[in-house]
Amino acid sequence: MTREPDKNATPPVTSNVDETSARGGGSRRGWLAAALPAAMLAFAVVYLLAPFRAPREEGFALSLFGRLPIVDQGRTKPLDTYARTTLLAISTKQTLYLSGTDGTSERDERTDHGRIPAIHWLLDVMSKPDTARGYRVVRIDHPDIKSILGVDRQRKYFSVEEIVAKGDVLDAQFARAREVAANDRTPFQRHVLKLGQRLRLYFATEDVLNLLLVPPADENDREGWMTFTAARADTGAHSRLLPASDAYLAAMQSWRENDPTVFNAAIAQYLETLDTRLPSVSRRMSFETLFHRVSPFMRSLALYVLVFLLAAFSWLRMSSPLARAALWVLAVTLVMHTLGLVARVYIQGRPPVTNLYSSAIFVGWGAAVLGLVLERIHRNGIGSVTAAGTGFLTLLVAHNLSLDGDTMTMMQAVLDTNFWLATHVVVITLGYSATFLAGFLGILYVLRGLFTRTLTLDVQRSLTRMIYGIICFATLFSFVGTILGGIWADQSWGRFWGWDPKENGALLIVLWNALVLHARWGGMIRQRGLAVLAIAGNIVTTWSWFGTNMLGVGLHAYGFIDSAIFWMFVFVASQLALIGLGLIPLHLWRSMPGAKTPTPKAPRERDDDVGSLTPATPSPR
Amino acid sequence: MIPEKVWRALASLKLTVWLLALLMFLVFAGTWAQIDMGIWETLRTYFRSFIVWIPFAIFFPRHWDVLGGLPFPGGYLLGTLLMINLALAHATRFAFARRKIGIFLIHFGLVLLIVGEAVTGYFAEEGRMSIDEGQTVHFAEDTREVELAVIDPSDPQQDRVVAIPHAKLRTGAHIRHPELPFDVHVEHYLPNAELFESEEPLPPVPHPGIVTANRGFAAELNARARPRQVASGVDQDEIDLPVVHVRLSHEGRDLGTWMAALYFTLVPRFGMQPVVVDDKTYLLGLRYKRVYKPYSVHLVDFSHDRYLGTDTPRNFSSLVRLVDPSQNEDREVLIYMNNPLRYRGETFYQASFKQGDGGTVLQVVRNPGWLLPYVACTLGALGMLIHFGMHLTRFVNRRRAA
Repeated sequence: MTREPDKNATPPVTSNVDETSARGGGSRRGWLAAALPAAMLAFAVVYLLAPFRAPREEGFALSLFGRLPIVDQGRTKPLDTYARTTLLAISTKQTLYLSGTDGTSERDERTDHGRIPAIHWLLDVMSKPDTARGYRVVRIDHPDIKSILGVDRQRKYFSVEEIVAKGDVLDAQFARAREVAANDRTPFQRHVLKLGQRLRLYFATEDVLNLLLVPPADENDREGWMTFTAARADTGAHSRLLPASDAYLAAMQSWRENDPTVFNAAIAQYLETLDTRLPSVSRRMSFETLFHRVSPFMRSLALYVLVFLLAAFSWLRMSSPLARAALWVLAVTLVMHTLGLVARVYIQGRPPVTNLYSSAIFVGWGAAVLGLVLERIHRNGIGSVTAAGTGFLTLLVAHNLSLDGDTMTMMQAVLDTNFWLATHVVVITLGYSATFLAGFLGILYVLRGLFTRTLTLDVQRSLTRMIYGIICFATLFSFVGTILGGIWADQSWGRFWGWDPKENGALLIVLWNALVLHARWGGMIRQRGLAVLAIAGNIVTTWSWFGTNMLGVGLHAYGFIDSAIFWMFVFVASQLALIGLGLIPLHLWRSMPGAKTPTPKAPRERDDDVGSLTPATPSPR
Repeated sequence: MIPEKVWRALASLKLTVWLLALLMFLVFAGTWAQIDMGIWETLRTYFRSFIVWIPFAIFFPRHWDVLGGLPFPGGYLLGTLLMINLALAHATRFAFARRKIGIFLIHFGLVLLIVGEAVTGYFAEEGRMSIDEGQTVHFAEDTREVELAVIDPSDPQQDRVVAIPHAKLRTGAHIRHPELPFDVHVEHYLPNAELFESEEPLPPVPHPGIVTANRGFAAELNARARPRQVASGVDQDEIDLPVVHVRLSHEGRDLGTWMAALYFTLVPRFGMQPVVVDDKTYLLGLRYKRVYKPYSVHLVDFSHDRYLGTDTPRNFSSLVRLVDPSQNEDREVLIYMNNPLRYRGETFYQASFKQGDGGTVLQVVRNPGWLLPYVACTLGALGMLIHFGMHLTRFVNRRRAA
């Protein structure tokens, strides 16, 4: 650690040629440099704020109807959410295409079908059941089920009417499939059962009288929600039954008769009643409908793409303005991402991570925050690119996980503890974030070094510092998170460590990060080695995050490959490919034209004090 | 005299890295193995062992025929080596310095964790108490082990129980004990079996190779047992249902071949089978191993709340009355999720419940090392905060200076 090249004395700010040229390039460039970030920021802000304005509705006030509360799967939610998640679960889509009485989930540009929101579909199902049963909304994928229905195999969506017509055959298949143990079912049997689930959900939705739509008299009575059937039978409940039944009857009738005036008046009046009787429920319902309208995560996802492009292009041209634009847009995107998380915490009354979906959102958030911090320190676009890259990918994963239905599910009894959800789960998820972020930094190192000339000595040093720092962070968080999990287990069933798949997965991340750090301290790896091992960390984290959940399924009946398992394999394969690229001899890297086979010894960092304890033996290869 | 080079290798960071890599592979393999073996068996063979044979087949779909495997260091061996590596590293390379205090704390925390896991492995006892509402229970059951119980119920005050432990129930074993009213010859032991009704009537004389009971429930029901694969650790709902066939004899007189099955004991309509010896009735049955306690637990009430309109459980709780004459304790305690009762070195957790919510299942754990992980975690986290914090401040200061 005696050799400290002079370059180290200069702070590792981007030493890009473009920056100098931008500065010296005359007023046109200077003007652009100032305007570009501002313009991008303005665009992002407008894009994010636009949906906050209430949409103008002509005719039926569907958005008001969507605010009415219902208890579904143990949670009080607005009908808007109920309609979206139910339609999603039945058809894998949140909207429907409709023309007259012909409705379908299939998108077809040629016809004059208008796109209608899920709440419109819900109203049809409730008040015009016969018409709604003709809509082709039930998703069926298995060809053998389609041939039982005797329909065109090209279609994906089928109407309840079509399915009910073959009810006898399907019922028999359903009964057979149910007798087989979950892990031994054939793909056909799985699909039959899935179809059964979708139909049950459909019929439950159609059965308005037996939905939990009648609110309690008093806000504090959380268990007091009733169905119309139950409320009618209970004379004590009549005082609260009437406003609800009046409103729904009027709404459904006027919907059938296409009379918006009556509809809007009935809903407005009922909402007023609810506002006074259940003010906090009412507020939460408005908030949740707004949350869905804004859909903060989808909007963040889109903006992360923009950030990624801006920051990545900053390494090629106009470095300074593009990097600044990326940083600013990243900052507002992160504000939106954060608001989305906070909104979920408010709606659920839970810490941010409660299930796989929310863990994906949180992993992305954690990585983006860390990336932003890196960008503030190093100011070379790397933090922005990785923040945007991880943010985008994890939100994409989250979006795909959300296709099962409501993402705000209630917690199983043993998980019903805000303390451990707030500590163990949050900490360990931040550990995932950090390990992924380190992995993405490693990918940047390899790709930029191999394919571009932009991996200058400064960038190498700065990337190595970032990877090293982030891995330290990851070690801390995954270690503490894992052990907190052990303590939770000890608190809830008396076993600190059970070596079960999920625990082992968490342990692997800790061991991996420890391994990387020790290999670095021991001089077994240097800059490139650190980058390559960081990429391998992506595989370890993916295994622990998703792989361990899939152990139970799919192994016995491998013929059926769950799409999640497929995508996991794709991701792992891509990471292995990147590791392979990282191992290509350095003299073939475009950024290292001078590299000879024994690589020039990269400057060691002063801060790896453990490493300095071992004699620095240059490792001949 | 061990050469210097060996010492240095044993203390080296290179060895640390290799050991961590080996440990990762062990943990990974130990996860896959749970699909077939069940968690306890995996624990014993992979983590609480010195050497383990890892078959390659565990990493592949189960219907593929993958042959071969490799011997691998087990959890105890790797743990020991890591400890040696760590101890030597501190003995040879680390002089204590203030700036290294973080590393010392982390490493000491890790040692405590490994020690804690070893203590748990050797000394921890786990059992379950399953209690119906209104019932009083003064024993815990170890659901990982069964025992063949012979009960003399003639004393109305107290049953006399002779239990033959699981380890003795090996095929071919002959068991004779002064307390036992008869000799027991183990014809066949199946660790997990399913019972089925045999179509043909049972042959009067046991056919060699296939054991058929000619007395007891099995003879009445025409039931036979066929072996089943041992339950997997991944699927928590499966349990092993062992079956043992025993031939009983008293003073040279044959008392018949009996099938004792855990299934019979668990299903209320069967229970224990009566065996009559010289006009005296004994009860025979294969049951979970019982550990008797000096106190009793009475279940006053079990409640199981669900989320409105769903079957998702929201909370389980058991109101129990704890009676311990030796300590003069008699009080009611509410045990619920994430809120265990700690009493006399044992901890009672709400683990499960009986069908129809009529009873509770409490997990009873005695682990003398339970506090170690808490200390270890605190030390480790503190150490990392100090160590990485020092890195960070130095880094920030240097940047500021630059």
